[in-house]
Amino acid sequence: MDGSMEFTMGLSKGIAWPWPIAVYLFLAGISGGALVVALALRFIKCQTANTPLYKAAALISFVTISLGMLCLVLDLTNPMFFWRILVFYNLTSVMSLGVIALCAYIPLTAVLCLYAFEDDIKAIKGLSILLPLISMLKPIRRPLELLTLILAMSVCAYTGFLISALIRFPLINTAVLPALFIASGISAGAAASKMVSVLVFKEDLHSSELKLLHGAEWPIMITEILFIVMIAMSLATGNEGAQSAFSAFTSGVWANLFWVGVVGVGFLGPILLNFATGRTFSHSAKAFYLSGVCVISGMMCLRLFILYAGQTYGI
Amino acid sequence: MSENIERRRFLKGVGAASLIWGPMGCTSVEDDSSNTNKPHYVMVFDQNKCTGCGECKLACNTANNLPEGKSKCLMEHQSGGVEGKACPHCGKDKCNCERKFVRVSCQQCKNAPCVSVCPTGAAHRDPKTGIVTMDKSKCAGCKYCIGACPYNARFINEDTNVADNCDFCLSSKLSKGELPACVQLCKYDALVFGDINDPNSYVNKLLAVKDSVRMKPQFGTEPSLRYIPVVKLGV
Ligand code: SF4
Ligand code: SF4
Repeated sequence: MDGSMEFTMGLSKGIAWPWPIAVYLFLAGISGGALVVALALRFIKCQTANTPLYKAAALISFVTISLGMLCLVLDLTNPMFFWRILVFYNLTSVMSLGVIALCAYIPLTAVLCLYAFEDDIKAIKGLSILLPLISMLKPIRRPLELLTLILAMSVCAYTGFLISALIRFPLINTAVLPALFIASGISAGAAASKMVSVLVFKEDLHSSELKLLHGAEWPIMITEILFIVMIAMSLATGNEGAQSAFSAFTSGVWANLFWVGVVGVGFLGPILLNFATGRTFSHSAKAFYLSGVCVISGMMCLRLFILYAGQTYGI
Repeated sequence: MSENIERRRFLKGVGAASLIWGPMGCTSVEDDSSNTNKPHYVMVFDQNKCTGCGECKLACNTANNLPEGKSKCLMEHQSGGVEGKACPHCGKDKCNCERKFVRVSCQQCKNAPCVSVCPTGAAHRDPKTGIVTMDKSKCAGCKYCIGACPYNARFINEDTNVADNCDFCLSSKLSKGELPACVQLCKYDALVFGDINDPNSYVNKLLAVKDSVRMKPQFGTEPSLRYIPVVKLGV
């Protein structure tokens, strides 16, 4: 007899988590992704110098996660209550675990900036108070970097776990979401670091590091596409609620966002720019920046789509 | 005779239980008996009796000092007909037959997602009564619980800027030994409240004889709200 009665109304109107949360998920993904890429490269290639990519990634990760925090705080019903999340913990809550990770991660991104910009800090008089701090932290650089790498990965993953815990939304409540968020975070983080390293820190467009990243880009993108197909298939072939959530992909404004923003700009954009144009153009700086912007916008669209379409089609 | 059967059944039960749990090494009779001593408050909504008068909503608002017009429960009006089609019962295009009401409120889940996701422990289970309630001084207003509640039964209280849910009037009435405000005010006895672990309680007896349903059982949250649906035979 269960199921013979239903209600469709609810006590809260609209969606619980609006766009600032999507922006936060986006920024946290870039922050974590940028560091994962730069630190992984650093370890694989046994680098000791502060490469342009490392500098770019350190800067990006610190700035984006700080802005992300701002979004998070401003989205609270009363931002003045923010301290409560920092004081009270509930270890069954993904959000609480995320806060613990962020409490370590955010200072570490700042420390990585100190490492990366040591020479620049030395050159500026006003910042000389930071020098003793840098020399104090220097001996533990490697373990700290390793820890940051792990935390950066966790931050990417946790944003996925955070929302996949919302059981009433079939599009969001999937096991693949954290993996998808890691993959798309890494690709957007890599794109952002690449662009900033060339633009600001004068990395050569065809350096061996960037070449390596270019090569890694495509397998990551294929993984992302695979994860999205997995989610779509499991919805299309799932129960009634899942099937109704599948219409997020086929109709309405969020479907447009998905096909135009995620698939068109995010996936087809870079592919066309790199493979469908002449060799001279696809190796030019223009194509480089354009496809970077495409990847990043695609990721933003993906976060928006998952959050909005997800919360629109509930059971 | 009946005593005999009871005893035999009891012994069989004990035997079976020890067979199942024994090897898993994780049961204790003590645990079970202490559980049954703990109250488990349930509310029963009888759709056959509810007229949709809305007194319960008003009562809730006053009892819990909610902002104007707010309440921790809603009434969903369901008519059997489909918009734009003739009524299957009376044949008229516009009719009011087959009026049904459903109470919408926190389902007081035994396995409550709002409690497990809340980062601060503001949404928690009252240790004494087991009722899911709010510690307003801890809530950060992150709205995680609102997204996580499968019943969309939580909301932000505009007065306090923190999340809120129906907690059976835990602090406003129950603590004074009174029934929840909506139950007190319902003129048609459509709401029944009590401890289902108490063998002498009215809810216990009522649920023993009436068929009741729970909302969206597929979520596995084990709600404590039971609904007695209008059942028309032979339609
Ligand atoms: S119905 Fe929602 S608010 Fe109430 S206990 Fe269950 S999850 Fe929590
Ligand atoms: S809004 Fe308040 S009660 Fe709800 S999850 Fe956040 S902190 Fe907990």
